[in-house]
Amino acid sequence: MPRTSIIIATHSRPQLLPKAIESARAAGSDVEVVVVDDASSDETANVCRSLSGINYVRLDRNQRVAGARNVGLVASRGEYLTFLDDDDTRLPGSLDEQVEALDREPKAGMIYGQAIRGDEIGNAAQFLFPRTCPQGDIFWKLLGRNFIPCGSALFRRRCLSSVGLLDSSVPGVDDWDLWVRIAGIYPIMAVEIPVIIWRRSNPASGQGTSQAANLVSLGVRQFRNCWMNLPRARTASKRTRRAAWRAFSENMAEHLLWESARALRRGRPGQSLRDLSVLPRLSPLSLMRIVEHRILGVPQTGIPEALGFV
Amino acid sequence: MVTISVIIPTHDRPHLLPRAVESARTAGSNVEIIVVDDASTDDTAEVCRGLKNITYVRLERNLGVAGARNVGIMNSTGKYIAFLDDDDLRLPGSLDAQAALMDQNPEAGFVCGAMIMADQEYQPTGEVFLPNSSGDVFWDLMELDFPVMPLSTLIRKECFLRLGLLNEKLLGIDDWDILTRIAEIYSVLVVEEPMGVYRKPTPSSAQGSSWQSAQLRRAARHQLQLLKLPRAREAGPRKRREIRRRTINRIADTLLWSAAHGFRLRESRAVCANILGALRLNPLRAARPGAYKKLAKQLFVKRAIGT
Repeated sequence: MPRTSIIIATHSRPQLLPKAIESARAAGSDVEVVVVDDASSDETANVCRSLSGINYVRLDRNQRVAGARNVGLVASRGEYLTFLDDDDTRLPGSLDEQVEALDREPKAGMIYGQAIRGDEIGNAAQFLFPRTCPQGDIFWKLLGRNFIPCGSALFRRRCLSSVGLLDSSVPGVDDWDLWVRIAGIYPIMAVEIPVIIWRRSNPASGQGTSQAANLVSLGVRQFRNCWMNLPRARTASKRTRRAAWRAFSENMAEHLLWESARALRRGRPGQSLRDLSVLPRLSPLSLMRIVEHRILGVPQTGIPEALGFV
Repeated sequence: MVTISVIIPTHDRPHLLPRAVESARTAGSNVEIIVVDDASTDDTAEVCRGLKNITYVRLERNLGVAGARNVGIMNSTGKYIAFLDDDDLRLPGSLDAQAALMDQNPEAGFVCGAMIMADQEYQPTGEVFLPNSSGDVFWDLMELDFPVMPLSTLIRKECFLRLGLLNEKLLGIDDWDILTRIAEIYSVLVVEEPMGVYRKPTPSSAQGSSWQSAQLRRAARHQLQLLKLPRAREAGPRKRREIRRRTINRIADTLLWSAAHGFRLRESRAVCANILGALRLNPLRAARPGAYKKLAKQLFVKRAIGT
């Protein structure tokens, strides 16, 4: 039985996948690599079959990322689990370090680390996300913004048995949602070292930007319908809940402003308007608070980081 | 070596659960029983501690049946998966019989069987439901013309790895959704013997039928998604329209029929919900006088008894 399972959900990206798989193998000892092919229509299947020593699962019908990751969770056998996107890279040895740390703290449910922003072909650039890694009870912080890079988080299988699998109805926010649910029950640990390299999305790859408006509305729905109904949030005081909503709103508003500016720079006014149209669904004071924070110089997160990717 | 994993999601029913667990145990050898406690707030946890040889998983937040079943699938080690509700029963030997049949037919995705209907005290009401066809049942399932319930069904675990897990957002119809998706690419086996006992809800037990109208309308809505499956797409718009029309009519008829039934039980709220539901689905169908024959008959019979 392998100790750790790395779950890689992939869809029609055979040129990037082998690099991700190689990095996953080198990331630790006693690792099982589970590749879930989300009904790719190209040569992904052949590429995977040529690689030995991976647990290859092929979906016949496209389930989107969260659905495919869930299938990976079912197919995996490790006690510790982590996801890796098919275009990201795990750093060598990074997994062993996290496993060791998590072993020392049997109460903790999850450990995460930093991500290096890479360029479009996945080579490391200079800056790290998140700059500092809060630890312990981070439930309320996590409600405000997602500072956990998806591929950096390593969690115990038994966490899923108490919080459930990924929610496939919120594609793109599904990882954040899982972290929130885990953090609602378990203390979270972190290693303040880079563990993965993120590939930066470019406009042509259609990764983050085109969906900013959509993601924020999903996030708002999830915040209201699910997160605020978690036992932890329900028993909290009204004030705490309101503060969480404000922090969430502010970060989402910042994200939307940033994305809409980016869209405008690229000459896509329609996209820019669509991003701005979600703003009224957030707390009405969030725009004011952004200005306030800028003027007062209260240290805020780097603008594009609100959703934990860009 | 475990071959069959029986997944029993439970929520606040410690008085019924042990009976369901026992029935699953006698239904097969090489069976592992996984009880997923969907954030019960009563003494379910203690009751489960008293049950020997089960895998007990406790969810800290209520996820609903589908979410709990998914967690059960993740914890399962068997080759076949059976879902059982905490108030239903499996019949002795039924799992072994179905597993043997599945072993012989590796191309089959799931096997279903006859179901005995019972009242709240597990006394058979005399009704037995049996699926009317086997093999390729994709269109029957799509049309809601295939009586199948999870409690009489054994599913190959591989199906979940090829088609994805249950959809947590489909309250009450997650099983119909997954079985239809499985039937799209796998063949289906039927055992004619009864495999399980279904404890029929009454409107007052708050178990289901009070939401029947909502559930069937949800099914009607979700069918539009299922009609996007590749096989339905290939069948062409004409076939899809025909299927759609028949389903809507069937649902409207079912709602009116159970409105008539509810009338006898003096469940006026359920009756109204059902008739309104039928009208919303297909006003023309519900406006057909014949549809109310049963309702009128109930009314008449009741009057006759009254006088």
